[in-house]
Amino acid sequence: MKVETRKGTVDLYDDLGNCVASEIPLRALSPLYNPYMREVLDLFKRLAVIDLGKLENLMKKGMAGWETAVGQDENKMPWYGRDLPLVDRAKEITERIREKVERHGDGEQLVEGAGRYIIVKVPRRMMEISASRDPALTWTSVALCQAVAETFNLTPETDPDGCNMLKGAVFGRYPQSPEFSPGGPVSTFLKQSNTVDGLGSGFKAIMVNHLVALCNKRTLDGVALATILEQAAQWEMGNALGWFERYQLLGSAYQGFNAHNLVLDLVKENREGTIGDVAYSVVRRALEDGVIKVKKTLPSGYKVYSTSDYSLWNAYTCAAVLAAVIVNVGASRAAQSVSTVLGYFGDLLLMETGGLPDPDAGRVEGTGQGFAFYTHSIYGGAGPGAYTLDHVIPRHGSGFVGPCIVAGMCLDSGTQLFSPEMTSASYFKIREKLPLLHDPLKKVAEAAERIKGEVKRE
Amino acid sequence: MAAGKVKYEPQIYPGKDETSERRRKLWDKRRKLAKYREISDDDITRLLGHRAVGALYPSVHPPLEELIEPYDPIKNLVVPTPGARAGDRIRFVQFADSFWHPPIAPYGRLRLYFNRLRGIDVVAYSGRCILEMRERDLEAAMKMLLETEIFNPARTALKGITIHGHSLRLDEDGLMFDARRRYILDKASGEVVYIKDQMGRVLDNPVPVGRPLSEEECRKLDLAYTWDTHPFKSRTEVLEIISRAAKLRVLAGFNPELLTEEM
Repeated sequence: MKVETRKGTVDLYDDLGNCVASEIPLRALSPLYNPYMREVLDLFKRLAVIDLGKLENLMKKGMAGWETAVGQDENKMPWYGRDLPLVDRAKEITERIREKVERHGDGEQLVEGAGRYIIVKVPRRMMEISASRDPALTWTSVALCQAVAETFNLTPETDPDGCNMLKGAVFGRYPQSPEFSPGGPVSTFLKQSNTVDGLGSGFKAIMVNHLVALCNKRTLDGVALATILEQAAQWEMGNALGWFERYQLLGSAYQGFNAHNLVLDLVKENREGTIGDVAYSVVRRALEDGVIKVKKTLPSGYKVYSTSDYSLWNAYTCAAVLAAVIVNVGASRAAQSVSTVLGYFGDLLLMETGGLPDPDAGRVEGTGQGFAFYTHSIYGGAGPGAYTLDHVIPRHGSGFVGPCIVAGMCLDSGTQLFSPEMTSASYFKIREKLPLLHDPLKKVAEAAERIKGEVKRE
Repeated sequence: MAAGKVKYEPQIYPGKDETSERRRKLWDKRRKLAKYREISDDDITRLLGHRAVGALYPSVHPPLEELIEPYDPIKNLVVPTPGARAGDRIRFVQFADSFWHPPIAPYGRLRLYFNRLRGIDVVAYSGRCILEMRERDLEAAMKMLLETEIFNPARTALKGITIHGHSLRLDEDGLMFDARRRYILDKASGEVVYIKDQMGRVLDNPVPVGRPLSEEECRKLDLAYTWDTHPFKSRTEVLEIISRAAKLRVLAGFNPELLTEEM
């Protein structure tokens, strides 16, 4: 199919290769305009999850205020332990929280029980007057403490130590320490805002494995969800303005939303191929589509390519690096190699095209090499799934790295120590209660189709 | 890669000289690597040191066919390697390449692996390059890595740990320095023999890996530009491409709209 570069529209395909939306103006894929993206982003800001099972266990063992992510057991005070059947009385606790939260809502269901979990959304009214997105954490924690205290009659008169224990279990060492204990009973999709550094990085503050769980390990859905968050962050940090608007929109359309079926075509073509094959496939495809052309031929016969539309070539390369991740991780079904592909794929393109910039003008390559260094035995380090997208190692670039890491983790078949099942078990469960997050790839396209008449063509 | 509508053949690497040609050959999977020696499957297993010869492959998860995974069309599309299908562990091999006219260098290995192997995880460092794969896939790949022209028993070495030595001068037998003395030159047979596996554990039966290549062969197979083979300035095309890449990356990174067709 011929790509209509100058008209500024794209066709969007699902992960089965069906065209879901055609002739979509790029602006309809911007988080500023796409209604589905806005809903998703709103949900990510407003939502918190309570794990009553965890709280019950903490209260029983007198554990609170830990600062280790994995051990979580450095403070044990069994003499303050309280045997409260929180999970058994989940319904009652949910009702009490609902009473406190939903009274400020606009009729939308804001509090929902899911077994040992309670999902809480902060009313829009509160978010509108809020300078930050902190109420997701503060409201939920306070409402939970009040509800538990009411249910089990904990007051300074009846049980002062129990009150302290409850506060410690939910809030950790806050405010003496600015951070709640990692993996505590109340969690939000996005990291606590005072622990995010880098202006506008808020939407990147989520662990890769959480996204993998939220899309139930469906690769291109995970990519779409990660792209929504990454691109929202790009807008928030001012990196998608002016010179970069078309660049960001094209890149995210091709890599994140399977525009013109490019990612899927590259994967299909190389389903039994290597990383290198994907690089050569995308050069061929770009030639066919008129994105690049031969500028000159050197004495050895080597051809040097040039492009009149660099943003589009960049979109092709970003799609290709994702396809290369999928082809390589899909073959080994082991996610550790994501960083390797990100870190060295660009070189193949540079040497194949005679120096046309590789994905994100080399930022994907730079980030990938650092990421490889820290995820391999050269420097120890963690599994790719355990990183948050705003982590100082994979955060660089323009939002084209995160989706590749998510794709890799979706394809892992169980080789990772930090597997989604281990780090993000609750997210698989919560997902069932959040139909908004089902089929994001399709829903982005459908929403774009709905508004394409309203948004101006580029 | 399937044939397409336009006339296009991967060109892999610029340059007219022999070193460029050498790089093009190694990185082009359509071209066969010359075979220099034969090493048995059991010896490869011994050198790697991950499992006993004849032992079953331990697994990290059940075979893919038995796994119950949520629906994802992509997982049905990409063909898993035999090792992935069986749920093998991820195992590794690490090679060190000497400075002195080696047939391949860490970065060259990386590109070779990218082009010729599936389901790989590889990181290159100054003198070493690690390759991680599912266990049986790794053993299969080892055939190519040890038996063909990219292995010189004297100047490339399996070094799972204690890799130091790639930039040191060669020893009195012409071998690359190895603090763990994993390999020696058997003067009777003229072959390099591994007396320890890549982790430095003593082998029950030494593994011969063939004769060291002659100085002439080394120079012919050398992947690097050096003053006594093909000097730095001879790589005109490569330099042109590298400087163009650097310039365009900076410009495009600064403002994507700056790039024009004439650049």
